[in-house]
Amino acid sequence: MAQLALDVKGLTKSYGSKVVLENLSFTADMNDFSVICGKPGNGKSVLVRTIMGLEPVDAGSIIVRGKDVAQVSAGERNIGYVPQSFALYPHYTVKENIEYPLDLSKASEAEKKEAVERVSELLRIKDLLGKKPEQLSGGQKQRVAIARGLAKATDVYVLDDPLVGLDFKLRERLIDDLRKTQEELKVSFVYLTSDPLEALSLARTVMILAQGKIVQQDSLDVVYDLPNSIASMNSLGFPEANILPGDLSGTTFTSVLGSIKVKMDSNSSKVVAGIRPEGFQVGSGSGSVDGKITLLENLGSEFAVYFNVKNTNLVTVVSRTDNDALAKVKNKSTTITFKPEAIVLFDAESGKRVGQGVSHV
Amino acid sequence: MYDIRLENITKKFGDFTAVNNINFTIPKSSVTVLLGPSGCGKTTLMRMIAGLENPTEGKIFFGEHDVTNVPTRRRNIGMVFQYPVIYRNTSVRKNLELPLLSEKLSKQELDKRVDEVAEILGLTDVLKKLVEELDNGTRQKIAVGREVARQPRIILFDEPITNIDLTSKLELKRSLKELFGRLQQTIIYVTHDQTEAMTLADQIALMQDGVISQSDSPKEIYENPASQFAGWFLGNPGMNFVPPQFISVSGSKITSKMFSQTIDLGSKASSADTFGVRAEGISVSPTEIKGGVKARVTRKSIGAGGQYLLDLAVDNLLVKARVSHSIGRSVSENVWTTIESENITFFDKSGKAI
Repeated sequence: MAQLALDVKGLTKSYGSKVVLENLSFTADMNDFSVICGKPGNGKSVLVRTIMGLEPVDAGSIIVRGKDVAQVSAGERNIGYVPQSFALYPHYTVKENIEYPLDLSKASEAEKKEAVERVSELLRIKDLLGKKPEQLSGGQKQRVAIARGLAKATDVYVLDDPLVGLDFKLRERLIDDLRKTQEELKVSFVYLTSDPLEALSLARTVMILAQGKIVQQDSLDVVYDLPNSIASMNSLGFPEANILPGDLSGTTFTSVLGSIKVKMDSNSSKVVAGIRPEGFQVGSGSGSVDGKITLLENLGSEFAVYFNVKNTNLVTVVSRTDNDALAKVKNKSTTITFKPEAIVLFDAESGKRVGQGVSHV
Repeated sequence: MYDIRLENITKKFGDFTAVNNINFTIPKSSVTVLLGPSGCGKTTLMRMIAGLENPTEGKIFFGEHDVTNVPTRRRNIGMVFQYPVIYRNTSVRKNLELPLLSEKLSKQELDKRVDEVAEILGLTDVLKKLVEELDNGTRQKIAVGREVARQPRIILFDEPITNIDLTSKLELKRSLKELFGRLQQTIIYVTHDQTEAMTLADQIALMQDGVISQSDSPKEIYENPASQFAGWFLGNPGMNFVPPQFISVSGSKITSKMFSQTIDLGSKASSADTFGVRAEGISVSPTEIKGGVKARVTRKSIGAGGQYLLDLAVDNLLVKARVSHSIGRSVSENVWTTIESENITFFDKSGKAI
């Protein structure tokens, strides 16, 4: 088997009595685009800082290319790093900004020349090399910052939410740039974000970060289709998956959507349900419910339809070309149905997947 | 209520022309969104309407009144900014009342105005609370409420959602949509966010390099972009563009490697240079079909509502196609694509739709 780029095992980090990372483990393959996705406040920043060596760990190992670097200083870990905020040096040119980290590691002129050429080609900033940061647009600055992070010639890179705060169209371009860059360099990218759409756009492999742990790691397809926990379903998906409280009695689950028969894989006394927006369909059918439309959000190719059933806010999506469905949601209220199999049950305590809907009652 | 008419409006900052000879009418009692990338001139244009900047050339009319030289405070407009302008250690009710005090309303009329606005914006339950106790989405609602309660004839919004955290954004959008549906005022809303624009606007004025390049309803501008710029800017991802080497023109007829049908463009055919097609305008079959164009799947990702976005290569051309979850999940190496003629927009050399 090919060597892992990164093998993090049992990482633990506390501040006083507050446990931020708890026995966290994941692996990242060489030549893979891995995305660690989790909502804010789940330990993302601390995880980045411990991997990069900017923060000591309490326990656990960080194995880079087969060697544990958990106790090795930041400068000797040989991991490329693109930080979240892109502080460029204002008095340096773009070229000097890119070279700066290489100067620190005492790279030769030839190495620097090669690095600048490589990354400026990749990120399409060749004609900006002589400019100062103040002459650049926001998107250009971000590309320079990413280039600086990638200038270090290595094969494992950590990217900490580098597109946060940029506008739509810039992000769209940079997402393509980043994917192309990873594919051309054939290196390992470990990318952290709290934006589900960004994770869905970039990842081949996804890790879900929740409460200081990686709760699921798999290919994008598998994590999306078979979330193993409520955190997993809720963190990865756009619009965000619907979470429904309800009661389980035998094999009948009852919520504001009415009652459905469910198949339980494990026992659970208290459950919550999750259903993705596309699990709903506008129109009547078995098990349909009445919803009050609260907002039609126009995403271009489709509409996110926010609706309310018995004081529970829910969301579904309708394609812009589905005229029938669109006509129905233009009114203040509508009828909505769902496939029972789209409902997944999770244990309310542990958050783990315990069952799935089978049929309407 | 009155419409806003811009006549030959130009604004220069030194050598830089921020707004370049705009002639445009913003219709009364409707929501017009000025949309565009940073630096397109949308904020400068709004600031001139507000009277916060003077145009270098041109005139601004509110209805029949030339307001070009009228100071801001006498233009009878409300303004909502990126960061809410409110009093922090004061109750929500007091915040909404303060701008009304100069109007010397009866207690009854004052309460009525405040209660009405609070109801529309969903602030009724927090009227007694101090602003300090509330999240920034609610604070922005209060700032909106303060302006609305004064009942000015025009209300300007300058990216009011941009700095609001993700969780409050949706709620604020919902309130604004509800508010805009009930107000009779003329509303101008500036943003770079296409979703916000398409969700809130009656009409979008799309700006690029200091001019309004297209103004239309959200549906029209998305489905019939007047330029490549509009096709690219609206949509996530933007429109695919197929370059001239994939297109042959013969008389009035156009054929392409990307589709099997022949399209008759009449006399316009000779100026066709490129064509655009949206990601959802490309149909994808996992098995070979008649008239299908063979394409290689180079990448897969997931988009809104679980649909897959496929990066497809036909020779050296890369396009993106949006397909259902089940098709996206099943395709691997090769697919066969078709494009209906109605999903194709031709552009001339300058990038204008023909």
